[in-house]
Amino acid sequence: MRKSTAGLLAVVLALAGCGRGGGGTSGKAEDVSAGRIKGTVTVWAMGDEGQALGAFAKEFERANPGVEIKVTSMGMDVAHDKLVSAIAGNATPDVSMVGTTWMGELGKSGALDVTPNNLFDKSGFFPGAWDSTVYKGASYGVPWYVETRAFYYRSDLGVKPPTTWDETKQWARQVKAKGASMGVYQNYQVGSWQELLPLVWQAGGDITSGGKWTFDSPQVVTALKQWRSFYEDGTAPNKVDTGAFPNIFFKGQAAAYYSGPWMIHLMKKDGGPGFEKKFDLAPYAKGPAGNNTSLMGGGDLAVFKRTKNRDAAWRFVKWLTDPKVQVRWYQTKNDLPSTPAAWQDPAMASDKQVALFGEALKTAKAPPSTPNWEQVARVVEREMGRLALLKETPEQAAQAMQKGADQLGMGD
Amino acid sequence: MSTVTAPGRDTGAAPSVRDAPPRTRRARGERLRRTAIYAALSLGLGLVVTPFAWTLLSSFKPEHEIRQSPPTFLPAHPTLAGYREMLASLHLGTTFTNSVLVAAAQVSANLLLCSMAGYALAKLPFPGRRAVFGLVMAQMMVPGIVLVIPQFVVVTRLGLTDTLLGVVLPYLVWPLGVFLMRQFIAEIPDELLQAARIDGAGEFRIFFRIVLPLCRPALATLTLLSFLNAWNNFLWPAIVAQTQDRYTLPVALALFSNEETTHYGLLLAGAVVVITPIVVLFLCLQRFFIEGIASTGIK
Repeated sequence: MRKSTAGLLAVVLALAGCGRGGGGTSGKAEDVSAGRIKGTVTVWAMGDEGQALGAFAKEFERANPGVEIKVTSMGMDVAHDKLVSAIAGNATPDVSMVGTTWMGELGKSGALDVTPNNLFDKSGFFPGAWDSTVYKGASYGVPWYVETRAFYYRSDLGVKPPTTWDETKQWARQVKAKGASMGVYQNYQVGSWQELLPLVWQAGGDITSGGKWTFDSPQVVTALKQWRSFYEDGTAPNKVDTGAFPNIFFKGQAAAYYSGPWMIHLMKKDGGPGFEKKFDLAPYAKGPAGNNTSLMGGGDLAVFKRTKNRDAAWRFVKWLTDPKVQVRWYQTKNDLPSTPAAWQDPAMASDKQVALFGEALKTAKAPPSTPNWEQVARVVEREMGRLALLKETPEQAAQAMQKGADQLGMGD
Repeated sequence: MSTVTAPGRDTGAAPSVRDAPPRTRRARGERLRRTAIYAALSLGLGLVVTPFAWTLLSSFKPEHEIRQSPPTFLPAHPTLAGYREMLASLHLGTTFTNSVLVAAAQVSANLLLCSMAGYALAKLPFPGRRAVFGLVMAQMMVPGIVLVIPQFVVVTRLGLTDTLLGVVLPYLVWPLGVFLMRQFIAEIPDELLQAARIDGAGEFRIFFRIVLPLCRPALATLTLLSFLNAWNNFLWPAIVAQTQDRYTLPVALALFSNEETTHYGLLLAGAVVVITPIVVLFLCLQRFFIEGIASTGIK
């Protein structure tokens, strides 16, 4: 799958390079008319969001007679390939949900319409979420829903959750002494980069600076040291089968892990009777730089340049990102709103665990929106896997990441 | 006597003393060999069947039981939730029909076109035959994934996106199928075809009346292989279909595999629905496979 994606990407870039002369990334935003809209808008959406959106959009159709929203829902696995081939074949929909980490790649393809200034205001969204739509200074979409990471822990062990990096280390030792043999579960397999980025930010650094990768910076090494220390102490498992999580948490072998809001529902559903009383959430612990910046993810909505119904397409996106509609979408799908205004709603503020994510979103950051981020992420994951097995030092891992990332470049 | 006989077997009336020892020794060796073979086969069968059995059994388990580690075999609390959820959220009728249509079109086109091409490449002398065959072989070496985007561009230009025709078009002739048929037809004695020619049969008549009936084992193999291809194809139908009304089963099933959470109960129920037709098809064609093995044995 990974390989195929890279192959497809290469072909698309080649095609985009020779085929579409006039396109390219002009970065100029055009206004959207405020007048009456009509006609069909085709929308692609993935996973659970895609399944629920069709029925949800009926309300927009009722408010705008003459507009028909046609939602095609697709599996997450195929969505990227489908978007990439649709761009190559000029068979794009009007609107599509786009994973935040694909924005750079699609922005570069020149197939996305620049976000119209008269409809959307950057200040209405969480800054980290808005950043995910920006490629080379222009925004190519709007944040639809967001997610960020928190510390899930077994509250039934009676150890107060840590608030600093050092406390986290102690916490892991304490829970291990209380029978959680694995300590804290840190993901060291696919997606492990999501564990590293918050730590780098909490150490006061970043992985890019001035258009260059900075994996060899001291802050990245600090972050890797912190992450590796759990494996050195034996307070994080590095011999877990894929799929063993979250059962190791249900069983109490692992007493904590880092993940996003969707896990709340899963914990309550699959944890067995009474499990909702056995776990709780805490924000990320603060790092040496004094912040507890978390990772911002989620889905953006983008409109394609070739849309035949541009006004209606953008107006539908506008509707989906309206704070009131976002609260209703949260009630339908549990997706967290991308607009801080929606979080003022009592429905959002009443759930303490959810409110905790709302707080983290204010400072959460998105991964770099470079077109080849997914490839660089594979390099990071490879090195973190080796690090977890204690096969290399943090310095060596940082150097190897830097080397791999430099070889891939920034993808421009 | 009884000491050389394997236990548990009734030796019956004592055979004549002279030829008894060699025969029992042979019989014992034979029996040992058989036991060993059956043991190996049972082991292999177990290895092959276990995942399927687990899938089938687990499709009746509630979600948390599927995720249990170590995994269990028998469902402790059997449920039809997975199947019910699948029926409710998938347009199973439409997707199943799509899958059947796509598979039927692909299989019949492959049976006809691959064997025709195979016949021409094996038995009809024409200039450049070897080069054409080389080209077919070369196509087998091109990974399909490389062709996805060019094929998609062609299909869009033909205006066939979001049609079932667009889904089957690139798979109507399969290089491996041509190769398979060519190799099989090459084994048919030329004399048979010459005799038909002398009797005044045209090439089409020879092909349909003599070559095809002789190719039954190869055609059975091709049917199964191309059916599997069509039935399991995921990426291409997913890319060509732009509305859910055109989804095939695997594409629709993928809807339930999310980035963060996967509905295993539903996926397993879906897997059972996807696998069943393949098993049925194999059972129907099994006879021909055995026939095919028998005829190759005689040669």
